[in-house]
Amino acid sequence: MKVYVSGLYCGGNPQPGVGIVRSLRQGYPNAKLVGVEYTNRVSGIHWKDLDDLWIQRPWDELDLDLYAGKVRELLDGGALWISGSDLEAMWLASIFPDGHPNLLAPSAAALKRIAKPAVEAHRGLPVKIPPFVSSDLSDWELHAFCREHNWRIWLKGPYYDAARVPGWDSFVAARAALTKVWSTEKLFLQAHVSGYEESVMLAAYRGELLGCVAMRKRDVTAEGKTWAGDVGPVDPAFEKELRRIVRELNWTGGGELEMVRDAADQCWLLEMNPRFPAWVHGATIAGHNLPALLVQGATGIRARPAEAEALEFTRIVLEVPVRADYPLPALPEPFAGAVGHSMKHPSGLTSLAERMHKKDAELIGLVADGAKGEADGKPDVPEIYLSDIDAMELDGLQTPQFLFFEKTAESLFKRAADRAHRLSTNEVQVVSGYSIKTNPDDRLIRLALENGFYAECISLAEAQKAIEIGFRADQVILNGPGKWWPEGMMPKERMHAVFCDSVADLDRCVAAIRAGEMSSKHVGIRIRTPNVTSRFGIPLDSPETFARLIEAAARLPQDTAFGIHFHMASSNIGVAQWWHLFESMLKWCRSIESLTGRRIEILDMGGGWFPDDWHSDDESKFARAVETVRAMLPGARQIVSEPGKAMAQPSMALAMRILEIQEHEEDHVEAVVDGSIAELPMYAFQPHRILRQCGETGALQPLGRGKTHLMGRLCMEHDIVAANVALPEGTRAGDMLIFCDAGGYDRSMSYVFGRG
Amino acid sequence: MYLAEAEARIDVRPQAREPEALASDRWQHFPYSALAHHGEACCEIARQWVVAMDFAQLNGAEPTSGPRWLRHKYKWGPSPWPMHWCEVVKRKTIDCGAHAALALEAFRARGLTAFPAQLVQRYSEEATEQWRGKWSGEAVSCHWLDGEHIYHEATALLVGEDEIKIWDASAGSWVCPRQDGGYGSLVAARIFADGHYGGGEGLRWGERRLTPGVWVQI
Repeated sequence: MKVYVSGLYCGGNPQPGVGIVRSLRQGYPNAKLVGVEYTNRVSGIHWKDLDDLWIQRPWDELDLDLYAGKVRELLDGGALWISGSDLEAMWLASIFPDGHPNLLAPSAAALKRIAKPAVEAHRGLPVKIPPFVSSDLSDWELHAFCREHNWRIWLKGPYYDAARVPGWDSFVAARAALTKVWSTEKLFLQAHVSGYEESVMLAAYRGELLGCVAMRKRDVTAEGKTWAGDVGPVDPAFEKELRRIVRELNWTGGGELEMVRDAADQCWLLEMNPRFPAWVHGATIAGHNLPALLVQGATGIRARPAEAEALEFTRIVLEVPVRADYPLPALPEPFAGAVGHSMKHPSGLTSLAERMHKKDAELIGLVADGAKGEADGKPDVPEIYLSDIDAMELDGLQTPQFLFFEKTAESLFKRAADRAHRLSTNEVQVVSGYSIKTNPDDRLIRLALENGFYAECISLAEAQKAIEIGFRADQVILNGPGKWWPEGMMPKERMHAVFCDSVADLDRCVAAIRAGEMSSKHVGIRIRTPNVTSRFGIPLDSPETFARLIEAAARLPQDTAFGIHFHMASSNIGVAQWWHLFESMLKWCRSIESLTGRRIEILDMGGGWFPDDWHSDDESKFARAVETVRAMLPGARQIVSEPGKAMAQPSMALAMRILEIQEHEEDHVEAVVDGSIAELPMYAFQPHRILRQCGETGALQPLGRGKTHLMGRLCMEHDIVAANVALPEGTRAGDMLIFCDAGGYDRSMSYVFGRG
Repeated sequence: MYLAEAEARIDVRPQAREPEALASDRWQHFPYSALAHHGEACCEIARQWVVAMDFAQLNGAEPTSGPRWLRHKYKWGPSPWPMHWCEVVKRKTIDCGAHAALALEAFRARGLTAFPAQLVQRYSEEATEQWRGKWSGEAVSCHWLDGEHIYHEATALLVGEDEIKIWDASAGSWVCPRQDGGYGSLVAARIFADGHYGGGEGLRWGERRLTPGVWVQI
């Protein structure tokens, strides 16, 4: 018996080849085991149980047709082949679409049905698939997915590789890197599932499940790979469905279902691999020798029975002698001035991916199958934006220039006012506060006033501006650590609410009120979000600080109403986490109320809502929130919410013109524009929907995804206002680009730079 | 040899043998740890802080998630008893009884059903000698050490009608019901649940049943 085994990489993220070889040696002491590799840099080739080696040139050099012929010869000659690499298994499936009796790997049809992330074949198993989307979607939609899942997100490559993307900038960087490595933009985003990782390994031959075994990770590497585990039987209900699936897929070969079990005991299927896992020999130690079972199933030759040595296994690092025939290759010199010896994928596996895509464009279609999304990545631009732009005279417009979307702004403020009205009850009034700092444009502040908003100010200068535009002092809410700046501008009249940002600030407020220098209907405190990093508010992170807060609150004047404010940008922490934070804050409020004996009459909660999250048609969460406040804080009379960004961001756009278009190799384009990150400082935090105005017809066309980088006018290396967009055909210098969604902090934090 | 013949050679009468001492015998009448309350603001602020902080630390995860933050905030080590709420929160180091008491309060405040759990674990003479030195050095009782065995406290969480998981707040992990021997293994467990949980069969923990109020040998 001769068995070829590939996938011998033994680094921190090992392949299963050596484990398969060790298990086969145990089951078939006399079998001839041949290791297959595509580089001599892989340490597994030196493992003692290998009788021979078949070292090929790396995938980027291999003549694939010639190699396929040789593999066919081996299989026809009676040798068996167990693949330890996903990509090699896919390539073999393309060579033997209907399989080969001696090829112990799944067919192309079976592979298609386990393509990640949807893993279509999983139906029937007691597992769920974590939410995912294809990276084909527009950036706008991808950002929404990340927010929805609290930025606990993985960007995954088509075959291997995953990058945690906790923010938009890291997502954009990871997308560029993975796209380059795997020669495809067919990536996907998947929500993280927190829990304990476990796997089921299987062996099957021509649709018959020969054996399966479960493993729970008991120790993991820094990359999250198995370092130790316990092995046990597969739950009978799971096994029954697995047997059916294996039959349906007519599966041959090893396989692994990688799962996470969450705290509610729900299992989530991350992927199904078309090969044995790297921990395969751990199961053999526990008496489940699946590679031997597979060979036995294929050949009918009985394997030596596996005896359990232990039900748990762990790994150690071993030094082994290097084979004289395969001396170690030289270590590549670091790139001049660089750190480390860069030599990832010495077997040229990534080139195999590229070559396979070229050979069979449909192959990559296997990956991310089932992920919803449009192919061009073009965003939907709201009709009302287009209507606002239509109403403008753009010819001769000096650029870069912010555009005010009047109808959009009016509709947003009115919508917020209507919602607040609907959510209000006889007991609790719901109002909005317009955070002046979000965008201090007079038109927006006026709209806030007209729609019954309060003015949320973080400085006396802002309060003064609100009053100048028409707000009364009793419509002003003063907040933040800088509320005393600039001196001498404190409103003489009574304000609506003042929230103290620290114990020192509280003492200053108390003193100012006693001295008649400040007056407010409500005086309260801002509490710092525990467990979400913030520099604002009175901290709660230790019992001592909490006790100080309770003592300090007792010093607040008894003739003013008490209130609490908290703020955390939902766009940064994610929508679901914001709602949890809200509930958590209410619990803190209830404790503060009971411990101070002060009734909380006003609850002011921000904020930083991404417009789409705030203006969602589903009001049920907000209605439930009001109910919860009523239930937990029965003394609350007013809830103030701060949808500043949700109002301002859609209300303005930034118009800029293309100055020059530079075409580079492989369709890469750099278009220089007269705008810059000085006008678009939020470029790293959020995507913008971009429209190109056709120079001839004036038609507006949304930009999809492509190979163009829009380079700002500044001589600053990082001045790239958009990456990976596609300019519509016919775009030329002088054409106007309109960056929508730029009315929030893009506008208020824009700065003068490079203008002489 | 027939059974009768064998019986004639060896004394198989149960009453003739001394019953084998169980590792848990020493702690047969040992109560689980409970924090005292001064009945004043000092303890109430501390208790409410623990409950509110626990919910904050959940971060939106399942309420049945273990309160890992407690072990992160309070190292495991000797702590004097009796202990009040206002004292426990100020300590940097607390023992398993205090960890378990805090975890119990946290689970219950989340609206879950949780019970005190007592465990006996096996380590080694060397390990217990080390702990004896450390506890004695701080003038704290070493009642929890006995040869290679130790008395330990945890929290049982009801996760189904009659199923429990056992949270070891001092380790920051769930006790594995599959382990059955060796260093660090569980030797016996006792859960303080009301009688109606699990009916007459006891609470299910992995493949086992734990009768409330009774030391169950593992």
